[in-house]
Amino acid sequence: MSAHTGQASEAGVLSADGAVAVPARARPAGLQYEGRLLTKSFDGATVLSQVSITFEPGEIHSVVGENGAGKSTLVKIMAGIYQPDSGEVLLGDDRLAGLSPRSAQHRGIYLVPQEPALMQSLSITENLFVGILRRGRLRFNVDWASMRREASAYLDRVGLDIVPEVKAEELSVAQQQLVECARALVHRCVVIYFDEPTSPLTGKEAGTLFEVMRSLRAEGYTLGFISHRLDEVLAISDRVTVLRDGAKVLSAPRSEVDRAALVRAMIGRELVTRERVRPHFDATGRKEMLAVEDLTSQPSFEGVSFNVREGEVLGLAGLVGSGRTEVAETIFGLRPTDRGTVQVEGRLLEHRSPRICIDAGLVYLPEDRGRHGIFAEVEVERNVTAGVIPRLERFGPLIKPAPERQMAKEATEKTAVRMTSLDTLMKALSGGNQQRAMLSRWLLAGPRVAIFDEPTRGVDVGAKDDIYQLVAQLAGQGLACVFISSELNELTISCDRVVAMYEGHVVAELSGAEITDASLGAIIVGAHLR
Amino acid sequence: MTTLSTSPVPAAPAQTAGPGAFRAGLGNIALVLLRRREVQLVVAILGLFAVCTGLHPQFGASSNIAFILADSTTIMIVAVGQTIVVLGRGIDLSVSPMLGIAAVSIGFPASMHNLNIWLALLFVLLIGIGLGMGNGFLVSVVGIPPIIATLATLTIYGGWQFIICGGMSVINIPAVYTNFGGANVLPGVPWLIVIGAGVVALAYVFLTRTVTGRSVYAVGNNADAAFRAGVPVRRVLFTTYVISGFLAGLAGLVYLCQIGSATSTSGSDGNTNLMSIAATLIGGTTLLGGRGGPVGSALGAVFLSEAAQALISFRFNEIWDPAGVGVLILIAVVADRKGAPVRQLFRQPFRQPAKAVK
Amino acid sequence: MSAIATSPAAPRRARVQTAGRQETTWVVTVAVLLVALLAYFCLAVPDFRELGASGILALCEQFLFTGLIALGEALVIFAGEIDLSTGAMSSLSGIVMATLWQHGLNIWLAVVVALVVAALGGAINGLLVTRFGIYSLLVTLGTQFIFSSVATAVGGNTPPYNFPKSFVNFAGTGTVGPVPDQLIIFAVIAVVVWLVLARTRYGRGLVLIGYNRAASRYTGVNVQRTLFSAFVACGLLAGIAGIFVSGFYNAARDDIGDSLLLPAITTVVLGGVDIFGGRGRMSGVIIATFLLGFLFQGLLIRGNSSLTATMIGGIVLVLCLILKIALDRRAGVRLRELLQRRFGSTQEAPAVPDA
Repeated sequence: MSAHTGQASEAGVLSADGAVAVPARARPAGLQYEGRLLTKSFDGATVLSQVSITFEPGEIHSVVGENGAGKSTLVKIMAGIYQPDSGEVLLGDDRLAGLSPRSAQHRGIYLVPQEPALMQSLSITENLFVGILRRGRLRFNVDWASMRREASAYLDRVGLDIVPEVKAEELSVAQQQLVECARALVHRCVVIYFDEPTSPLTGKEAGTLFEVMRSLRAEGYTLGFISHRLDEVLAISDRVTVLRDGAKVLSAPRSEVDRAALVRAMIGRELVTRERVRPHFDATGRKEMLAVEDLTSQPSFEGVSFNVREGEVLGLAGLVGSGRTEVAETIFGLRPTDRGTVQVEGRLLEHRSPRICIDAGLVYLPEDRGRHGIFAEVEVERNVTAGVIPRLERFGPLIKPAPERQMAKEATEKTAVRMTSLDTLMKALSGGNQQRAMLSRWLLAGPRVAIFDEPTRGVDVGAKDDIYQLVAQLAGQGLACVFISSELNELTISCDRVVAMYEGHVVAELSGAEITDASLGAIIVGAHLR
Repeated sequence: MTTLSTSPVPAAPAQTAGPGAFRAGLGNIALVLLRRREVQLVVAILGLFAVCTGLHPQFGASSNIAFILADSTTIMIVAVGQTIVVLGRGIDLSVSPMLGIAAVSIGFPASMHNLNIWLALLFVLLIGIGLGMGNGFLVSVVGIPPIIATLATLTIYGGWQFIICGGMSVINIPAVYTNFGGANVLPGVPWLIVIGAGVVALAYVFLTRTVTGRSVYAVGNNADAAFRAGVPVRRVLFTTYVISGFLAGLAGLVYLCQIGSATSTSGSDGNTNLMSIAATLIGGTTLLGGRGGPVGSALGAVFLSEAAQALISFRFNEIWDPAGVGVLILIAVVADRKGAPVRQLFRQPFRQPAKAVK
Repeated sequence: MSAIATSPAAPRRARVQTAGRQETTWVVTVAVLLVALLAYFCLAVPDFRELGASGILALCEQFLFTGLIALGEALVIFAGEIDLSTGAMSSLSGIVMATLWQHGLNIWLAVVVALVVAALGGAINGLLVTRFGIYSLLVTLGTQFIFSSVATAVGGNTPPYNFPKSFVNFAGTGTVGPVPDQLIIFAVIAVVVWLVLARTRYGRGLVLIGYNRAASRYTGVNVQRTLFSAFVACGLLAGIAGIFVSGFYNAARDDIGDSLLLPAITTVVLGGVDIFGGRGRMSGVIIATFLLGFLFQGLLIRGNSSLTATMIGGIVLVLCLILKIALDRRAGVRLRELLQRRFGSTQEAPAVPDA
């Protein structure tokens, strides 16, 4: 390290020639960061259950699992964004209680989020130093000069060859992510988590990120890497922990695991023997309910075609970002269609909008229930009838309250929504019950085709089963279902056929016995490209 | 450690030698400059000036220029305060009566007891700070949305202004004030605009070189992230409203010097609050916060003043001024795509921003 | 716009009231306050008492046009938007009617044309908000200017006055027995608007948009069309208000509307409508019209100046909002949520946490 000259701890360390050298760490070396028996529930659904994990300095420790396994929640607890319901977090020997993002940063823990959260109209320098702007001699003025120098040094450190005066919005996502990484260093953080950082990156950009991570590791930083991309995990980790359904199932040094072992741990051995929820589907004589032909919506997906028959459950598999939700939204008329057609019961749907689709018998349960599905501050009754407002019984133009209530009552009884009363606010219901209420909403519309987008997201393990049963039941009654999910076992037990998507294209179609977690798991991570 | 080489932004001028390349380089620079709202406004101001003077030579007289500049000063000062509030993603609709209260509060003592102009200055600033604190309290401590809070203080302060006047108006301002208001430092350059320019300069320094000023930008960009990063969001917002009041107070004194009188509706009759917002928006600051600056707003104020004067020269009825301002606001807003947040997919015809699909 | 707590407190369920109950409580409170207010003025202010029933009813004519504007604003506010141009529009419609009449058009036809103009103004607002996606705050800030300017231009220096008796009788000061015409018309319109919002499919969609715009699109609500028509209705109601004003004062003025905007918004907030959209009852707005109106008139009769009364209006607005926010806090809305709601952020936290 260069010799200290004058301004030390606040600013960067100035070497004799005035250049700023970034100190390797300002903290004592080798800080172990441990989480013990962490448990967390959201709205009644247990997301993390008694998980203990230790992050060692000088090590890249990956946490893997499927979507919904709890890895992101775990890391957010470690970074102070969530509070655990029980369990504790220790930094070195210090027990950290009541952690907040701010205090975590102060203690040296930083989370590089999945989507970079920079302030778009501010410069890189400023983004790096927001909240800890270096003050000049007058104490209220900003010392831009020294910040710029430091910023340059930090940017070099993460391999970004850009001038720090550039505004954040002019950078690509990959660059913004590296800036987030630099921010961690600016804040003197020694424990750095990367939450699914490579989702928005190209292969080359991911490579750059990994180089930075390796160099940080060499200097003794404690690094955590969250991902579901096994190739990357295998390439970069020193240690791997696998979470499944909120519990830790495996934790071992990299040398002791291989892809197969990881896949097995992620998906779960027991589930291979789990009974299929549905009887075998016989396609003979079944009408085609939904036909999607060459559907394209740039830049999300291209040339997607599939069909679903009456009473069939078609799975749509793929990683986050593969375009499945975008396909569903385009079918439902929420996104513009570049080309391609959608037919329901043989009828071509033109100029699709949600209303047109619903009236034609096609309904969609969105993935983001909170933002796109429920009206949190509205009673359950109104939530349930929201999709069929034009069909409510009326006296002239006025809606009759009694029939509406009856309608909602019957619908919620059919899906067994557990609630205090129909007047309860939607936000008071558990995740599972909210999902059932959503189901009632769409069933009221009397659909012929239903698209379920991650229907068990944010739902308790126990309630998940009920949802699978419900879907099976509906299919048994003739509903054509599209089941979008990132949880492979769900698809395996619920679907008759599965279409797999990868980066905007349909890459495979499996049916019957071909559908196994292993085969699906391989396809969605791009194994077919090897 | 291999460094990731990325093309620096913006594009650098051509490296090849030769006069053609030089001109190309200049062209590049010009294009880059023109993307800035401030430069666009300067061009607009000069362009409008050229057109008007061409058609009515007396438009270019130094007395006319002086008038335009002096006239713009009141709005300019208020607009700078407004800009600071808007940068924090707020809005201040109560600047009219704040200006008015300041004007009449010192106007009466000035006209009746010959209040010393420096004391008057001190008083207006204190009054402005006090009024601004009221807004700051409602927005950052209580948590009322700025539009409603300042709409409420607009009425409350307006009523107060009326009460202070007690049915009378301020007349017979001592010459000290009005002389200053009418004096020029150079032909065509009144002292008032020097004050205005000074305010703009101070605001610029505040916003670019002080921690609090930068915090305003941070809060306006993303209050939640700023909060998490340790920025004292509530305190920063409170400060912006206090500054707005402070400057409205100063503008009250400037108003008094320029007009020479004040009534119970001073400030409101000139649509000061909406004009200040117009100048802010035209100047390139977006209502969503985090983006913009006082220089643009100052130029916007000058442009508005010039445009009003131009309308008079062309014998347009003054009453069309507000309409013109309204249209200018709408143009500024529609043209300012950058300030618009990413449109959700339900707001056709805009599409989702491109996500990397490889 | 709704925000969901990412980490709700454990015993939340016990504390959650049904929304319906809180809304009803507010409306009932406002109604009780109205009665209490009238009682107070009758008892404490002799001049008020001496008005008698017919006098008190006649007082309504002073504030019912504010109520009409409030009804229109409420429609737009329920949907999560706002319209700042209603005051200017009411002035404009009065001026248009008066000027047309002055130039020889039958007064009733002039009224119709004025209302069409008002609806057109609302359509302009609606178009800019839905087609161009500009925030209603900005749009109506700009159109407020424009309408105001047009009103001044058309009205000229001496706007028309002294309208035909039949008109003044109907729209201004006429009565049916002791009940003013205005009150009857207002009552009819208020009931219609109330029913539309509370009981029709359209109203249901409008409120859902206010609660969660994205989700309402997913449920098939035609957001564009619904919002557009809300703005048109708002403009139209402002126009009707302008006609009433002109009738009442027997003159059209280009600035009469300026003083109506804030009381109208105060009325909406006082009526319990959430300024962010969704929550509230139209019945609250209707009762609040009378509450605020009588408060103002009572103060005037008592001897306070009109400016004082207006100030008190502003203070009432502030107090209402403080109360609402306090109630929100009590119901468990955390500070982070409040911050996000108040200031928003360019990146929203996901409502359903991803594991």
